[in-house]
Amino acid sequence: MKIFRYECRRLLWNKFFFGLLMVLLFYGWQILNNITILGVSHTAPFSPQSFGDYLCRMIPLLWIGALFFLTFFTSGKARRTAALTDAAPIRPQIYALIRCGAALTGTALLACLCLAEAAVFYSHYFRWHAWGSLLLPAAVTLIPSLVFALGSGWLLGRIRQWLVYVWMPLPFVLQALPLPAALGIWNC
Amino acid sequence: MNTLRLLPLELGRLLKSRLTRIIVLLTVCSPIAGLILYKPASASTMLSVYLANPAIAGGVAGGILFALLTVFEWDRVGRSRTDALIDAAVSPLIMALTRLLAVLAAAALTLGLTMLVWLPVSVKFIGSVFDGADYVLAYLIFMGLALPLSILAAACAYQFTRRTDLTLVLYAAFAALSLTVWADDWQLCWLNPCVWALSDDFSNYRIFRSAAYMRLTWLAALSGIWTISYLCIRQYGKGLPTSFLHSARKLYRPFLALLLLACSVTAYAAQPLVDDSNPDLTAMTFYEVPYAEGLICTGRSAQVFPDTSAGTVSGTATFHFQNTSGQEQAAAFGINPGYDVSSVQANGTNTPFSVSSYQEYNEAMLEVSIPSEGQVDLTIEYGGFPQESSGMASMQGGAEISTEYLCLENAELSPRLLNVLPDENMYPTVIEITLPSSMTVIPFGTSEAQVVAEHNDGTKTWRYESNSTGGILYAGDYIREDIEAGGITIELYYGRRHQSVMEAAGAADAVKAVVDYCTEHYGPLSFGTGGTLKLIQSRVTGGGYATNGASLLDEADFTADNLSDTGKGGAAGEVMIHELVHQWWGLGNMFDTADGTTPWSAEGLTVYTTYRIVKELYGQSYAQEHYIEQWRQAADDYYLNFYVRNPEYLESLPTDKQLEITNSLAYVRQYCEMPLKILKAEQLVGGEEAMDQILYNLFNRELDLTYPYLTYQDFLDACGLTEEELNLDENISL
Repeated sequence: MKIFRYECRRLLWNKFFFGLLMVLLFYGWQILNNITILGVSHTAPFSPQSFGDYLCRMIPLLWIGALFFLTFFTSGKARRTAALTDAAPIRPQIYALIRCGAALTGTALLACLCLAEAAVFYSHYFRWHAWGSLLLPAAVTLIPSLVFALGSGWLLGRIRQWLVYVWMPLPFVLQALPLPAALGIWNC
Repeated sequence: MNTLRLLPLELGRLLKSRLTRIIVLLTVCSPIAGLILYKPASASTMLSVYLANPAIAGGVAGGILFALLTVFEWDRVGRSRTDALIDAAVSPLIMALTRLLAVLAAAALTLGLTMLVWLPVSVKFIGSVFDGADYVLAYLIFMGLALPLSILAAACAYQFTRRTDLTLVLYAAFAALSLTVWADDWQLCWLNPCVWALSDDFSNYRIFRSAAYMRLTWLAALSGIWTISYLCIRQYGKGLPTSFLHSARKLYRPFLALLLLACSVTAYAAQPLVDDSNPDLTAMTFYEVPYAEGLICTGRSAQVFPDTSAGTVSGTATFHFQNTSGQEQAAAFGINPGYDVSSVQANGTNTPFSVSSYQEYNEAMLEVSIPSEGQVDLTIEYGGFPQESSGMASMQGGAEISTEYLCLENAELSPRLLNVLPDENMYPTVIEITLPSSMTVIPFGTSEAQVVAEHNDGTKTWRYESNSTGGILYAGDYIREDIEAGGITIELYYGRRHQSVMEAAGAADAVKAVVDYCTEHYGPLSFGTGGTLKLIQSRVTGGGYATNGASLLDEADFTADNLSDTGKGGAAGEVMIHELVHQWWGLGNMFDTADGTTPWSAEGLTVYTTYRIVKELYGQSYAQEHYIEQWRQAADDYYLNFYVRNPEYLESLPTDKQLEITNSLAYVRQYCEMPLKILKAEQLVGGEEAMDQILYNLFNRELDLTYPYLTYQDFLDACGLTEEELNLDENISL
């Protein structure tokens, strides 16, 4: 628990996290105010479809954020301290799990703040408060992609540190590519 | 060590780096993305497809690549942990400036290389309408200026945060905003300029000026922010605030930063290209100004002097009034928001005037005090850089003024009288315009212009007469071809650059086919004496319009690609057909435009007739796919639109969003829903022949002079149908 709290503080109490948060909130507001407000597929701006579209547009930045959290652990500096941390009285697998958990917590925190921003937007413009109906779209949209980001990033980071950086622009590349309709879900 | 001595060393080192060479190579290849993947310029002209798109894509990709190089280079010293050594040898401020200049120089070299590589490719693809000046300007402005902006943005972010990860995130968000959310805001899309079209046949200086203005505004802003970040570069082991205070002791540095930021803010706010017209298109307050009592306009004239190199206009407009009221009156004029009024004189004496800050439909209101004398000659001197309507901000370029092309519409040509009635002669008008001798002047209407003077400076003065409060004028290096069709003479004007393409594709025959069709089905046009119709090829507009005696043809209808498209049967573009058909529906028969909420307008019958002509030219399946299916899809979308079904939520939106939604819905109702209803009427009345007879009778009906408009009720009565019978179900099937 202590190690988990320490890793969380290391990840979240720094300039990077707050900078990333500001960027996410600003970008999210631009999307809500320009795109989501018009409604998606003829549905309300606060429908699960419109909300899901908003989250899809936020995923690239959340993906980058999640991978950047991993770079705290896969960087050269972190590797150089591995000799010390491996000597600690904790199994390396447990320690790796704790670090993953810390990265997941940071990512989840960012995602929750994006959700909160949407909640404020819906409340302000439409006086709409039925948040319960949006939990399922949020879970379905965010959990698989962000868990995949963390898992794949962790694996790549163990092979080579720089592969994590190469993996970051993947959502943008998928957006730009003319994928067939069957792979349209990757084209958000 | 100073910057100038270090710069060649740093540049040499940079160019020898493998990463730099990879970035340069990828940047040189990046315009290919504009041919395959990323095509922001939606027009079908050759320069849009083969020049604008590659240049913009090259700017986007090159900008991102050079931003990555910038971050890598700025982090290099910290990554190798030699910052303590380097800082001891060279001031970090000098090093930062040197690095910036080196990367900028590398970007400039890359741009030069890209332009050299892509020149033969562009010449091959663009063909006979290739223009060297357009090529150089497109690559310099659309691609070249994107690179320093990206470099500055990435450098700023790193110098503030000193973290690679946060720098990349900040840059990614900044770039993503430009590419997505800000893509339609011409002043904010710093990475991907709002360029929807480049003209093949005419000049493009207006759109180049717009993109350059936006880029230079951002250059000033990012230079200012970079200068502030430069002051924040950590020195002597100090933190950000202390380093800032230390660096700011040399006052010229923060002063320079503030100056740059002030310049950019001023440039953003005071931009001269686009006006501030009311986005509510249903607001027509200029038409509601009460007519001045006892004041009559007996005629007007204007001498107009466009400056084709600066893109500006100056002129003197004279209005002749009779004031029988015995009192001072206020006359109101619409004037282009970009113009300044330098003087207003009534009978040779200065008279008070004011120009409103409120703008509507690309006009500001000029109010002038008319003295109480019986006869008043009012002279207005005006001039400036004409602004385009804010509603067309993402499609700029129409108000082009150059030695190759000129278009002056209504208040751009001369102040437009708003609130003074005419006498029995209406508004007799004389316009004189002085232009380079290579240009042919074409009034958009029944008037013909004649040369009245030739000057030693290579200009000519043209003169023509008309009768209206406004007027539209085109001028350029035009060729005229006369066509006999439908009992009238059609004067087809097109750009000289396009001559070979037009002749090879038989454009004149295509025009003849459309006019003959409409004459045969609906009856001949009647233009009075002379019986001529002008068809003027304009610079690419995305649409067109028509007036009595003239229709506009978009050059995009006649590109080599379009005319060689065998899928369309090799005939002319459909926008041309649409605009020609407006001579029958919209002008030959007029439609009341007072109620902006009804779907009934000239567009319904025009779009329907265009569909019928296209069906005859290109076949049933083409017409079904490109017309009926498109209308159905658009009408379905309209009926399913959330705000149509729940108007109470529309009212809770910000005003600008409300207007955006209502304007787009009005377009769908007029251009898609109404043609679909007319098509349903055709089926209910017994088919195409029956509908043709009904439309023939409507077109040739005797007009009620007190209300000459063709109404929806007239149409329903002629078909023997009710409004309910033409209602479209939600699941529309015909």
